[in-house]
Amino acid sequence: MGVPAVAMVTSAFDELATSTAFKKGMPGLRVTFTPHPITGRTTEESNVYLKGKDPITGKPMLEEVVNGLRDKLAKQDKQAGEIEREERPRFLTADTADNLQQMFHDKMWTDGLPVILPTEEKVKAMLKGTSHAPDEVVGEMRPSGPHEAWKYTVEMVAVNAVMAGAKPEYLPVILAIAATGQTSLVSSTSSFARMAVINGPIRDEIQMNSSIGALGPFNQANSAIGRAWTLVSKNLGGSGTPGSTYLGSTGNPLNYGNMTFPEAEESLPEGWEPLHVQKGFKKDESVVSIFSGWSFNTIAWFSPLPQQDVIKNWLTHFFSFGTGSATIIVDPIVAVELNNNGFKTKQQFAEYLMEKSANPGWLYWSTHQEEYKKAKEGVEPFASYLKLGETAEVPVSRYVRRAPPPGAPAGMPPRNPVEVLAVGGGTNTYWSGGDFSYVSGASIDKWR
Amino acid sequence: MKIVARWLVSAFVIASTVWAGIVTAADGKITVMNPRGIMPAIKQIPMAERPDSLDGKTIYIVDTKFANTKPFVDALRDNLAAAYPKTNWIGVDKVGGYIQDDPNLWAEIKAKGHGAIVLLGH
Repeated sequence: MGVPAVAMVTSAFDELATSTAFKKGMPGLRVTFTPHPITGRTTEESNVYLKGKDPITGKPMLEEVVNGLRDKLAKQDKQAGEIEREERPRFLTADTADNLQQMFHDKMWTDGLPVILPTEEKVKAMLKGTSHAPDEVVGEMRPSGPHEAWKYTVEMVAVNAVMAGAKPEYLPVILAIAATGQTSLVSSTSSFARMAVINGPIRDEIQMNSSIGALGPFNQANSAIGRAWTLVSKNLGGSGTPGSTYLGSTGNPLNYGNMTFPEAEESLPEGWEPLHVQKGFKKDESVVSIFSGWSFNTIAWFSPLPQQDVIKNWLTHFFSFGTGSATIIVDPIVAVELNNNGFKTKQQFAEYLMEKSANPGWLYWSTHQEEYKKAKEGVEPFASYLKLGETAEVPVSRYVRRAPPPGAPAGMPPRNPVEVLAVGGGTNTYWSGGDFSYVSGASIDKWR
Repeated sequence: MKIVARWLVSAFVIASTVWAGIVTAADGKITVMNPRGIMPAIKQIPMAERPDSLDGKTIYIVDTKFANTKPFVDALRDNLAAAYPKTNWIGVDKVGGYIQDDPNLWAEIKAKGHGAIVLLGH
């Protein structure tokens, strides 16, 4: 900016504020901390805070702000040039296996569970899973938009694949996930989760499980690939240090395996295309698709209602942080039932959900203040909605197509607010629904 | 016979160790590869010189517009104005959400202001 500046941040983010200032090149940035949280505080409460002290430094808050703008700078604050960073040797200092295992935990290079120590021999064996050179740069990844991005090579991905317990034949899938640049540990206070769906021939080649228990811990490939994504995100994407590069308030249990599974393509009813084909890839291509969201419900509800109405009614009342996107994962026998009920494609079913699902009254009116005002003034159609009662369903769907994000390639179609996938062993008419949305897809074949 | 047995035991131990992929040195230590990626270089930005006094100066109070924090931002402006009346405190909203850049506002502050307080979140 070129003028004196002071940042004010709530005290829960002291580590984030100071580490970000360092990474952005201003380690001496003056920061004043307020009590946490500030959101929702009244003017009176704010006045009490402002007449008090910075909870981190203990200095009077207003004085500290003003001093930050006018006090003489230290010599180091005026310096330019490169800031020294932690070195990155290719090999770590030799130690016993137990000590190294503990060091990996202490440095937060694991997911809290024991890892396979990445000896050079194991990494060399892992690298046999790809034709790509070890020093080829795969991509870059960051914890979230404002954070710095780290780069990584094929060898670095292989190191983390070893640690996760992957086999060399899984490496192209892990490289494809890494190449998307999508962290599985998004840094947001809202505790994001991520999901990786595998399509194409590689599913059978590496014996992934798309049948009974596909979403659970019952298959080496499903589990190890999902775990590798966590380790890649932490160690190569700079993510996952609570307080500085991970801020999820409660954390999310889905982050453990990152919901990594193959779609049950062979069990799809006629006319239902696999996900990667829906997204423009060829059927014989192997592809990984990344989804982002927060939560899933798992449901089987036996009633006289047809499945599509049960799912539609659930979707109307499903509430989470993400209320504008949904992914429905159906067991193949549910897919067949939906197909028999007239939904000849996945997209047709998705369109039905977009069109027919509604809004719970409390949610609609609390998030549509303008419409509420109009309803009170008798403006239609809002007045009619409100006549049904403030808690009655409002016949307006939350699942509407949204414009592509800023910077998206020209011609990119609007984002699909409802995705439908099939996985499971057909032991019962179960389905899962959640607030996940499709982020991107990447070729696995490119990394063979 | 004993020598053959010892040799077989030793061979088994060595083979097992190699099989496990961990070739131990004589001191029981092993070498492993670094799992970390490549951090970008950081170029330090020199901080702007501070004035001796804020009297007669214009300071922008930039609201990054995190949800439901307006009362605090306004209270900050009012408290500063009461405590430091010789300084001109101007409250402004940054464009977009809290992570969106606003180069036009930064240019305005540089042209018309002498400093800025940028806040807040959560």
